[in-house]
Amino acid sequence: MAALTPEVLGMLAFTLLAFYGVAGWALVRTLRQESRKVEILRHQDRMETYSPAALAELRDWIETNPDDPLVDRARRQHNECVTVLRQTDNHFYDWSDAEIDRLERV
Amino acid sequence: MGDVPTKTARAEWGSRFGFLMAMIGAMVGAGNIWRFPYVMGNNGGGAFVLAFLTLLVVLAVPGLMAEVALGRYANKGVIGAFRAVVGRGGLVGLGVVVLLVNIALMSYYSPVVGWTLYYAVHSLLFTFTSSGFQAEPFMNEFFASSLLVIALHTIVMGSIAAILVLGIRRGVERIVVYAVPALVLSLVVMAIRGLTLPGASEGLAFAFGIQWEYLARSDTWITALGQALFSTGLGWGIALTVGSYLREYDDVPLGGGLFTAIGESSVGILAALAIFPIVFAVEGVEPDAGAGLAFVSLVQVFPEIPLGGIVAILFFLGFFLATFTSGLLITEVSVTTLSEETRFDRTQTTLGVCGAIWLLGLPSAYSVDILDYLDFVFGNWGLPLATISIIGVIGWVMGPQRLRLLSVNRNAGIHVGRWWDPVIKYVIPSVMVFIVAYFAYDNFGTPEMIGGMFVLVVFPIIGYALMSVLEGRGGQPEGAEVSGGDD
Repeated sequence: MAALTPEVLGMLAFTLLAFYGVAGWALVRTLRQESRKVEILRHQDRMETYSPAALAELRDWIETNPDDPLVDRARRQHNECVTVLRQTDNHFYDWSDAEIDRLERV
Repeated sequence: MGDVPTKTARAEWGSRFGFLMAMIGAMVGAGNIWRFPYVMGNNGGGAFVLAFLTLLVVLAVPGLMAEVALGRYANKGVIGAFRAVVGRGGLVGLGVVVLLVNIALMSYYSPVVGWTLYYAVHSLLFTFTSSGFQAEPFMNEFFASSLLVIALHTIVMGSIAAILVLGIRRGVERIVVYAVPALVLSLVVMAIRGLTLPGASEGLAFAFGIQWEYLARSDTWITALGQALFSTGLGWGIALTVGSYLREYDDVPLGGGLFTAIGESSVGILAALAIFPIVFAVEGVEPDAGAGLAFVSLVQVFPEIPLGGIVAILFFLGFFLATFTSGLLITEVSVTTLSEETRFDRTQTTLGVCGAIWLLGLPSAYSVDILDYLDFVFGNWGLPLATISIIGVIGWVMGPQRLRLLSVNRNAGIHVGRWWDPVIKYVIPSVMVFIVAYFAYDNFGTPEMIGGMFVLVVFPIIGYALMSVLEGRGGQPEGAEVSGGDD
């Protein structure tokens, strides 16, 4: 085992962590999220589609690009998310009641 | 949704795991098994891993997010997705370019799948551990037998057709959810066997020893760049097609981007752990790449190690599954888009596409030289052309910000910020143009370079002319044309 220097072992450990650690984390996280979505949809027909940060960014874009060819689609997606947030009790993303109350359709 | 797609109801993945395994199954191919470990060991070991990982995170992860998101945004295959962005007309021909590249790629990849099938069958017969077996004459005899390779090519395309006619959920998904874990498991068992052999540490040192000076060499970065882009299949239309079957509330960036890019590369790392300890454990066997590694070096090793016959079965079955699932998804790109664009149903389209690929693949099955030529031409110029088409349309017509807001961050498992936009718009297209130019410069005047230039010029002309004729006078569908915006 003479060739196994600390440097080789360190690189091996780093590689395993960087690849298998990240891939494993992503796999577990996405499968858990899937289970949670399935659980939410068991109790209600619809679910919100955007996180607070993503919805805020979408809203900003709609307001600053009113003539964009895709603004109608963006508005539809934004408003659908707002409607669902108001009509449902279980949320996938971390929405507070105060944040939902402040939301407006665009 | 129904299992079998029709003109009115589009199929969807039956589970999140099915989608993830389809992505990994598509992207993990022969290159992960017989190229990556050698390239890694020969380009500075750990230093190469660092360069590769950097480029993977900077380019492949965002690029895959974009491609999958476009598929989900359009809910169509490659041609329909291009139409959804550029509107009706000749520019939809860029989707035809992607289609043509995929058909060409599969025409020479199918015989390679046939090679792995042949070796998998012989591993089950314990041929490699029988007395008097000689690896190199066995391989040479096999490659010289054109009829045998044509027969294998026929079996492969027939099997792919049989699975694809069953549809996305009952066909593709049902295969990949078992095949991909089986591939990983076979490599894990092989790695455990290899790492417990005396002398295995030499193999680990070859693969994971750090030669820092390699990080200062341009060759290391160009090789890592090619590996990061080609291994992940970025921009080939596969991720777009797989993404088009996502369900309403599915995430794109976490599963389609991060997990796919890092996960498929992990299989290459696993292959290095499985292969090199075994190769270095036997004296007199040299590490190699390609057919020389899989069909000579490793085959020479199996009789020399305890339980070598079993290890051979694990390796070649895993290798076959890796190539077969890639072939399945590469073919699905054409089946999906042509069944949407023509009046033929899925069964008719599958039979037509597989028949055409079979016919076009006969020269590659007949001669390894033709296969090598096509591999070089399409690997260096055809596939980058497809990537430039897809990422270029996202970056410069659709606009990355719009795609990020409308598709990437919708139902996302991780939030993708503004940093993503310039990567898609400027970095990936620039890198792809650099790769095309670099390969052209490096192979200037060779028949391969001339073939590559032919593909670069003629494929877009064919695509543009074809779609101009087919739908140029069809008018603009409402809401289809999204060009004009800028990020």
